[in-house]
Amino acid sequence: MSAYTEGIICVLCINAIAVMGVSLVTGYTGIFSLGHAGYMAIGAYTAAILTARYSFYFIPAIVAGGLLAALIAYIIGVPTLKLVGDYYAIASIGLGEAIRLILENGGTFTRGARGFPGIPNYTNLTVAVCSFVIMAFLMFNLINGRFGRAFKACRDDYIAASLLGYNTAKYRILSLVISGFYCGVAGALLGGFLLYIKPLMFDMMKSTELTSVVVFGGLGSMSGTLLGMVIITLITEVFRPISQYRMLIYGAILVIIMVLRPEGIMGQYEFGPGMFKAIKEKFKGDHYSEEGRKV
Amino acid sequence: MMAKKSNQNVLQLENLTKYFGGVPAVNDISFSIEEGKLAGLIGPNGAGKTTIFNLITGVYPPDSGKILFWGEDITYLKTYQAIGRNMARTFQNLRLFPHSTALENVMVALQQHHSYSFIEAITHLGGWGKKEREIKAKSMDILDRVGLADRANQKARTLPYGMQRRLEIARALALEPKFLFLDEPAAGMNPEEVNALNTLILGIHKELKFTILVIEHHMDLVMEICSHIICMNFGTKIAEGNPMEIQSHPEVLKAYLGE
Amino acid sequence: MPVFNIERGESLGILIQQIINGLSLGSVYALIAVGYSLVYSILMFSNFAHGGFLVIGGYICYFVLKDMGAGILIAGFLSLLGAGAAAILTERLAYKPIREKTNNTLYLLIASMGMSIVIENIFVVTIGGRFRALPDIIPTTPIHLSGMATISAFDLISLLAAVVFLSILQLILVKTKWGLAIRAAAYNLRIASLMGVNVNLLISLTFFIAGTLASVGGIFLAVRYTLYPQLGGITIKAFVAAVIGGLGSLPGAVVGSIILGLAEMLTAGFISSQLRDLVVFFFLVITLLVRPQGLFGKDVGEKV
Repeated sequence: MSAYTEGIICVLCINAIAVMGVSLVTGYTGIFSLGHAGYMAIGAYTAAILTARYSFYFIPAIVAGGLLAALIAYIIGVPTLKLVGDYYAIASIGLGEAIRLILENGGTFTRGARGFPGIPNYTNLTVAVCSFVIMAFLMFNLINGRFGRAFKACRDDYIAASLLGYNTAKYRILSLVISGFYCGVAGALLGGFLLYIKPLMFDMMKSTELTSVVVFGGLGSMSGTLLGMVIITLITEVFRPISQYRMLIYGAILVIIMVLRPEGIMGQYEFGPGMFKAIKEKFKGDHYSEEGRKV
Repeated sequence: MMAKKSNQNVLQLENLTKYFGGVPAVNDISFSIEEGKLAGLIGPNGAGKTTIFNLITGVYPPDSGKILFWGEDITYLKTYQAIGRNMARTFQNLRLFPHSTALENVMVALQQHHSYSFIEAITHLGGWGKKEREIKAKSMDILDRVGLADRANQKARTLPYGMQRRLEIARALALEPKFLFLDEPAAGMNPEEVNALNTLILGIHKELKFTILVIEHHMDLVMEICSHIICMNFGTKIAEGNPMEIQSHPEVLKAYLGE
Repeated sequence: MPVFNIERGESLGILIQQIINGLSLGSVYALIAVGYSLVYSILMFSNFAHGGFLVIGGYICYFVLKDMGAGILIAGFLSLLGAGAAAILTERLAYKPIREKTNNTLYLLIASMGMSIVIENIFVVTIGGRFRALPDIIPTTPIHLSGMATISAFDLISLLAAVVFLSILQLILVKTKWGLAIRAAAYNLRIASLMGVNVNLLISLTFFIAGTLASVGGIFLAVRYTLYPQLGGITIKAFVAAVIGGLGSLPGAVVGSIILGLAEMLTAGFISSQLRDLVVFFFLVITLLVRPQGLFGKDVGEKV
């Protein structure tokens, strides 16, 4: 396998972990965040400082990155909980940018806007793939059980959810914290892959990329998110020669999806036995019109 | 006053008042519901009936007054805390999760009492498999009881209206409550469906021995199944008693038929 | 640069200077924030593509001045027209089909993000991302204030322009039939449509106004910071100003913008220029924690 292919797979794995986190919080729990690149930044810088400056072994460094990001997500999440829709989106942009600005102004500790070089190369193919497999395993398990159902209930109708006894605040915070962890880990892995990070890598553009992948794949479908990410990453690679069009294509995809098919590629379906049953139900079973009459 | 334990007041409202803007939606309301009763709350539109439900279930706090549930003061509890005291409610305007199936709607409710830990959830180890199967099986039971077993995998928003109302009740039942609040369960139903609903509610009441409080407009439903009726108008209580008393009460007739 | 070393007389001078700077910056923010809040008040969604209209205005002005050699008035007029038209086009292409299908504003939000990226990158791809300086048509001659401070004519002109345009907007809203329709729609769009207002035309008009206001702001920003495709990114500060003032409230947008402009410039003058961006987000956080509906916003509850 060529170094190029290895690199692509590493990038895919890293991005996959990040978008799974964003998918959980935006697609499943309905919190539209545009600041998750900030958590990647926290994870990346934590792992970079721990490994490059204090000679930590990489695994605890990555976990520490994830945990710190999760902690910040919690600290930010609690006060911003009561914000709805657009307000939260703006807050998340603000907070994401604030994280980036703090890192840029971090003096010698974070090496500022020029970036942090000299990160040891701990993210090789094995590490990336294993990390992805573990994180994916945990995530799919989580959403295929009572937590997935609870998150979706909080998303679909938080008043109804609270009237079923759900402390919706608790579930939303949990979802934010987990997504923070995932993005932190992804950021840490990214640092070990690029060997160099700078705050500008984790700006609002990056956050928008993460969120648009989730939207493209389908809000509420984890497998759709992964499928969407693979498609978009591959398209980006194919178009690398004309890479200045890359962002233009991103933007256009977002608009087109929202106009034509807002539910994304997969809608709310997941790959797996459930999907076939659901599709069968839709086509072969009894047909019901919107009002519920049998047609 | 010494009341026998079996006739304890499950729900007690004392001088409950709630203002919206300058208008009292609920004005100094007091009543009690005894354990095991099937009670009804009636009154014209805008009388404040749903507001009472919202106050009890913690959607917003009252401006003054007290709400006692099984003797405990629940006046200022948040919604999920109130529900946690073993009550459940349905909605006038239906609040199903539209994109989830009927079964999933019930499971979301049922899993509250059949839970498992976070670690078990992310690893699928431990008793996870067994508990998930249990949640699913018990949810199917409840769907069966309300007659929706064959629609289990259908998306809630594509169900016919009457079935959606039954699903809403099924979801409330899945919470295994001791007190059930039904907010206009028969809204929009034809007489045939109302009859079926009556049978359902009576059946639930007899078999599971809940206390039930129903808000309803359909006089036939309320008169037929409720043993204790409270009538409101413009936020105040204008009558209280058994169906016979209410039917002939002059204030009630005035409220419904006009002067 | 710490303030401690500065003489008392000097610091007063800096204060005045930064206040004028702040008002000038705030007035530009106000032009952007008002347009943004106007759209929000009607459609209840944050149009993240608003910054795009700003950039379009800036570029039209630049090319008219440079390639057509026209004067500032013609350039300005064409920018306003162009940005307004672009706004209408954006609405018709991207937002109208979505809002006809669903009430969920999340999809509009995401589409607006997409349009923002598209507009910015159309410029990157076609004209190139390099910084361009606008020809010197807005005078930046320094004006000395009795030996205490030196401000630029530019600041006064941008303040004046903001006042003029916002006054025109106010007149439109209060004195014209369509202004009344907009105010009605801001209160309740459905009822306005039931009363016979042509909703689609109204929305197009609103976007046109928002686009023109943004382009005025864009021209001034381009003079201040030079012109480049990502200049629209500065709109995030105008968004913050609108939130501080209360999303959907036009006077709120103005007040929020002034506060923000002053805060930024006073921080830059007395504390540090790097911290000025952080101050913006500091205000955002405080607002969202203490009074999320902003200074003039209304609390919207949900009916159960």
